[in-house]
This record gives sequence, structure tokens and C-alpha cells, in this order.
Amino acid sequence: MAAGAQSASLDDVSTRPGRDTIVSSIVRWTFISLSLLFLAALLFAPLATVFVMAFEKGWRAYVHSFADPDTAAAIRLTLITALVVVPLNTVFGLAASWAIAKFEFRGKSFLITLIDLPLAISPVISGMVYVLLFGLHGWFGVWLQEHDISVIFALPGIILATMFVTFPYVARELIPLMQQLGNDEEEAAITLGAGGWITFFRVTLPKVRWGLVYGVILCNARAMGEFGAVSVVSGHIRGLTNTMPLHIEILYNEYNFVGAFAVASLLTLLAVATLVVKTLVERTGYRRR
Amino acid sequence: MSITLDQVTKRYQGLPVVNDVSLDIGDGEFFVLLGPSGSGKSTLLRAIAGLAGVDHGRIALHGRDVTHVSAKERGVGLVFQNYALFRHMTVADNIEFALRVRRMKGAERRQRRQELLRLVSLEGMDERLPAQLSGGQQQRVAVARALAHKPEVLLLDEPFGALDAKIREELRRTIRQVQRELGITTVLVTHDQEEAFALADRIGVMNLGRLLELGKPQELYARPATRFVATFLGAANLILARQTRDGIRFGKTAVNASAAGPLQGSRDHEVVAVVRPEEIEIAPTREDLASGYLTRGAVEEIVFTGALERMRIRIEDGQEAAPLSNGNGNGSAFLEVTRTQHEQRAFQISNGQHVAIGVRRIHILPTPLSSFTTCATTESLAEALVQQPLLAELASRMKTRISTRVEPKLGMPGANCEGAPEFSGTTVIAAHSEVVYQAQWLLKMGAEEILVLPQNASPPQRVLIHWADEAVRRATLAVSASILRHVSAEAIYIGILPQQTPAAQRPHGMRALLDARSEAQAVHGLEMRTELRFGDVSHELARQLGELAGQMLILGIRGHADLPERFGSLFAESRWPVLIVHRQHDSPAGQAGQAYQAGQA
Repeated sequence: MAAGAQSASLDDVSTRPGRDTIVSSIVRWTFISLSLLFLAALLFAPLATVFVMAFEKGWRAYVHSFADPDTAAAIRLTLITALVVVPLNTVFGLAASWAIAKFEFRGKSFLITLIDLPLAISPVISGMVYVLLFGLHGWFGVWLQEHDISVIFALPGIILATMFVTFPYVARELIPLMQQLGNDEEEAAITLGAGGWITFFRVTLPKVRWGLVYGVILCNARAMGEFGAVSVVSGHIRGLTNTMPLHIEILYNEYNFVGAFAVASLLTLLAVATLVVKTLVERTGYRRR
Repeated sequence: MSITLDQVTKRYQGLPVVNDVSLDIGDGEFFVLLGPSGSGKSTLLRAIAGLAGVDHGRIALHGRDVTHVSAKERGVGLVFQNYALFRHMTVADNIEFALRVRRMKGAERRQRRQELLRLVSLEGMDERLPAQLSGGQQQRVAVARALAHKPEVLLLDEPFGALDAKIREELRRTIRQVQRELGITTVLVTHDQEEAFALADRIGVMNLGRLLELGKPQELYARPATRFVATFLGAANLILARQTRDGIRFGKTAVNASAAGPLQGSRDHEVVAVVRPEEIEIAPTREDLASGYLTRGAVEEIVFTGALERMRIRIEDGQEAAPLSNGNGNGSAFLEVTRTQHEQRAFQISNGQHVAIGVRRIHILPTPLSSFTTCATTESLAEALVQQPLLAELASRMKTRISTRVEPKLGMPGANCEGAPEFSGTTVIAAHSEVVYQAQWLLKMGAEEILVLPQNASPPQRVLIHWADEAVRRATLAVSASILRHVSAEAIYIGILPQQTPAAQRPHGMRALLDARSEAQAVHGLEMRTELRFGDVSHELARQLGELAGQMLILGIRGHADLPERFGSLFAESRWPVLIVHRQHDSPAGQAGQAYQAGQA
């Protein structure tokens, strides 16, 4: 390692606050234990409950609940939705953040606000919007019916609603990163004779890849877990338009606690796995950067 | 010529950031563009590289017009201030990037990479990532990468900006060496004059988007033509002096310092003298001075800087010589002086000590604008004029002083002025409906440049230039060039022919226009646009001035008898600043021009 990197980490350590004094260590421990307690009460306990309930009637009952064809259909539907939504939003996020970070244009701040919109409004509203547009009494309802295309209460509707809700994740992650990293490397590549595509794939993409991966992971987690918006457009048809979160609700309402919590545990595991990958990415990304 | 720029202009939100720059850089030349931040030098470099488009003008590389060629196709090597290495690639991949893009074979690529690493003395670093290198090493990699595809031109944008002094010097040497070895035409952008001196074959100094002066480092330092270059290249004391038939006078003392520069005509007038801090001599008494006596002073501050001792000396007899500025912009009566160790041993000085000051060498700036004097009928009116934004801005940019003068009989026909007969420098009066008579009166009293200032005029974005008589062309152009070096504005010369001009006469008008332009360019380095109008002079000018806010007029006239009749309507509205340049007789042909050339050559 070069001396530069070492001195940088020394600087980092030396500027951290709260060293050496007794008071500061008391303050530190108070804050750490407070936040841990808070997390334990509000996050860890409910998570643990999910698994406790799922395994209440033993391992066999847990496995058995996945054999239900409706459950299998819900899992399949959720995966299909995520498979369609995540790549589309990745492409959109890249394009939008590129445009926002690299160019000055009219309505730029409007575009940024638009991207944030799904985060700000209730998911139920997001679902309602699509029902109003594509539902039987919606604007395009009649036309869609004439051409025998079903959007609402079918897969397209679910995908549209999920896309809407997960719109911001990739873009939000990339915009500040691209703005911070600037344009210099791309300009260098261009003066060295690289065209647009080479510059994008060889320079820009590798440069932002960790931010991109992070954004994709968050987008995926939300796509699989979305309830509100999907609930409005799906119509809750068992085995057809029920995603995992919707299916959990149905099972729960039917007092099938093992079944509900088994699916919930699967969703939770997906979330935990996502977080683990995210942490790994953050570490690698940090070290590489 | 390797790089040819022809009237390159780049605007940003309507304001010119690069303003009419024309420049030729020869094969294998090391050219340094020097200027403060915001002077447009980096934008100009990016325009050469093709990363920034230009709004006007042409760029040619090796005779090939590349104005509309993309950066990708121009094939120049560009080194950025913050290196801009591809951080996810190894040193080897970084250097080979340009070769890969050009689909060069692996073996050749490796060989070229080895060559380049040797050139920047980084052998064996191939597999490192940029983050594992020190700043100096990263910049070496950036230089190697920029040279990989054998570009014909190497461009460096403040390449040493982020490095500490020691590494900076080392890298500077490497770059000079590489440049000599390859004989590659190089343009380096910097704000550091020391760097410019150390590296450049030729320096171009930029300010406010204009290329002010070009020349070899030594010549620019010894004979700057403008205030800005004098104070930006090293420290300088700018002192107001009078040029007389017997030589240069500061107040009452005549100075017999060497190399006073060629005389601008025989007329007695005010000039700006440049005195470098190291050209000032200090001795206990006037008799001990080996050089020409300037004034007496008291030492205010002494700073030890190693090889040199720097001090500020307050001038004691303000009557004799009042420095305009010492390059720091404060128009106080201080002189900046530096002395070598040797001089220090010969004469020990302590704070507060009174000394005699002499100058070994002075250089007279060939600028026609020296200082400003506001003139009004009462003291308070004259004081109010000093506060006007345009005047304050001009004076601070020119690093000159504004004095006031009260003339109770200003503008009264038949009355003479009260104070000393001569009006030196530019006289400033407030615009109002009757101002033309005051201007006429001042011209009669001998004022040569009069600035008529409306309320709250701000620095212009466009300067219109017109002269009513060919005999004052030279003087008007000199004044215009001087003004335009200090404001970031476009210059437009307006030629006006009478409405009934017969067709046969029109080519003559065109020729006058072209002559004016080429003279402005050749003699003053001033790029200006030209427009030809037909009609009544005063009417056409007023129309043009009324079109757009933020315009100023520079009007050259000869003789003042018919000023109210011919140009009265221009002043009546008092909406735009007008600078009147008046010469009774044109200065002997070529004099002013020669002086400028001497400073520029």
C-alpha cells in the first residue's frame, strides 16, 4: 500500500469524535445500548415471531404448507414480477441518472421530483391510478376490452403497479454517485478515441457498478415485498393474481397461521438474504473505491 | 503551425468566457496559457481538445480545420487536473486504453506500454490500481496514458494543481523532459506564474476571456504592455508618472533610470510606470544611492522569505510620487521591495527606519489610460461620481486611482478653469441633458479623454467604437483596447456612411472598416467585429445604443467646436456611458504602436 492510503486512514481515525474521556465513553455506551434496545423491541422481536409461528407445528407442517399449489403459484408470480420489473427499472434508472448527472436541461428539477413521487405517495394510490386508467370504467378500459387485453386483475397490472412503486430506487442511488464522480473519466476516454458505447460499458458502468448493484438489490426487495399497490390491481384471484404478500394475508385471514407464517418466513429470508448481499456489496464497494 | 485558433469565442449564458482569441502555436512548442481562475483558459483548452464547442471562430490542428470534429476524432492527448484515471483499471489497462480502442495487437500494446512507463519512470507499476499510487505517480500515469496513441498535441489542464511543492517540481521536470524528447506540441494551462516561467517557450496571459499578451517569459516579465500582465507576472509597483521631454518624472523628481522605454510622442502627459520590487534600491541617504532617486520612505513591514527579504515601504513625501498599486489592488502609498541576502548584508534595516529609495529600472506601460479624475461643480457631486459602479469597477480592475476635482465654472462659456491648467488622465463627468457643453468646455481646457457617466451604469457587455475623423483612429483604438482589456465585453466597430453615399464610394467605406479591424488586431491585439451603417452618424449610434442595455460608446473626435451640433443628441438621453477620445492633432504616426510592439515582441 502506498503511503497516501495509510495516511488517509490515519486522518480518518484521528478525526473521529468522542475518544479518550470517561464522559465521552459513557455517552457512547448509552447511545449504543439505547439503539440496540430499540432495535430489539421493534425489529428483532417481530422477526423472531415470524419464525416461531412458522415452526409452531413442527418442521413437517412448515414444509407441507409450500406444497399447496396456490402458495407455489404466488411464489412464482412474485418471482416473475421481480424478473420483469427489476431489469426495466435498472435501465430506466441508469438512463435517468445519466441524464440528470451529465446534462443541463429545462425541467431537470421537475424530473428529479417526478422520480421521487412514488416514494412520497401512498402505494394504495399508486394502485388506484392504474385501476382508473386501465380498469373497466377507466380511460382505456373500453378499448382494452374490445381488444381483449386484460391489464387490471392480471399480470400486466401487477407489473405496472410494482414498477411504479419501485421506480426511484436505482435512480436515487445513482444520481448522487454520478454527480459526485463527475465527468472527467468519460471525457478522458473520449479524448483517447473511445466512442459512446465503449465509454459507457468500459468506463461509466464499472465506475458506478457498486451503486448500481446496491440500487438493484433495494429495488428487488421492494418489488417482492410490495403489498398496497399490488393489492389494489391484483383482484386477489387465488392461484392466478396473488403475490406472496397478498397470499400471506389471505392465509392469515383463513386462520391458517402456519401457512401464512411459512410464506412470511420465506419473504423474510429473502429480505435478510438481500441485506446480507447488500452489506457484502457495500464492503467490497468501499474497499475498491 | 501545430495549433491555430482564429477568433475563438465561447459564450456561457450569453456572456463570453472566451472572447475572440486568436493564436498560433508552432510545432514542438511548449506553450503555457496563464491566467487567474475564471479567465477562460481551461475553457479554451477544452475547446482545443473538442470537449467544449465554440460559438464563433475556427480551430485548426496541423492545418486541418477541426472546429466541427468531435473530441474522439481529434486525437489529442489531454491530462486533467485530478488525473481522471480509470479507477477500476490497473495502470497497464489505463495506459493501453487508447490502444485497445484502436484494436492494436496485444504484443505491440505491451511494448508501447513499457516504452511509456519508462518515459515517465514508472517501470514495474503495471499491475497497480490508481488508488495504490501517490498523487505524483497517478499524474505520471495520466501523462503516459495521454501519450499512448502518439497524439500530435498534448494538452495539460493544471496538471500540478493537487500536488505538493516538492513533487510538483519533480513532475514539472519530467514533463519538460518528455516534451523535449518527443518534440510534441504542448499546451499547459496554469494559474501559477512560476510554473509558467519554468516550463514555457512562450506564455499567453489570459484575463476575462481575452488573451492579453503573448511572449517569451523574460520579455513578458521585463516589458509587459498591460497593467494586468505587469501585476500578474510577478509583483509590480504601478506608479503614476509624467512623461516629459526630459524623461520620466515622478512628481517633481526626474528619474534617470535605465530602459524607460520609447517615448510616446513629445507631448507631456501622464503615464503608468512599472517598477519591479527587485529594481528598487534602498540606502540610508539620497547620496548613497547608486541609482536614480525616487523618494523617501519609512519601512513598515519586513518579511524574511529565505533567499529574499520582502518589505513594504510607506512613501513619506506623497507629493513626489504616489504609487497606484503594488499589485495587491490596494491603492495605498506603499512600495513593495525585495532585496537579496547580499543587499541585506550591505545595509541592515529595521522596522520604522527612514530610507532613501531609488529605482534601477522602470518600464512605461504603453496604455493611454492612466488615472481617473472626477470633475463636478461641487465637492459632493465629484465625490458621488467616485462611487459610481462602472467607474469604481474600472479603476479597481486597472489598479489605478480616482481623484476628484472641483470646477465651479464647469461648462460656463468664456470661463477658464480654476486649478492647474492640465487635465491628466481620464476626466469623468456625470451625464445629464446639458452634459455635452461641459464636455466641450473640458476639451477646450485640454482634457483628452472624457468619460460621461450616467447614474448607476454597470460594466458594459458590449462596447461600440466609432471615430468621426480618420486622424483620431489610432488614438481611439488604443483607448478602446485598453478599456476592453479590463471589461469582459464584445467590441464592435461601427462605420457610418451618409445615406446618400454614391455606390462608387461604398467600397471605400468597406476598406476603411477592414483597415480599422486589421489595425486593431495587429497593433493592439484587439479582436473586434465591424458593422457598416448608412445614415446620420449620431442617429445611427443612438439607435444601436438603444437596442440593448449594457452598452458603452467610445467616440473618437478631432476638434470640439461642433460637438454639441453633431453629437448633442447622443448625450441628451444620458442612458449609456460615453468615452470621448479627443486629439487636436494625431500623435506622430506609429509612435504609440511601436511602444506597444516593443512591450509585446
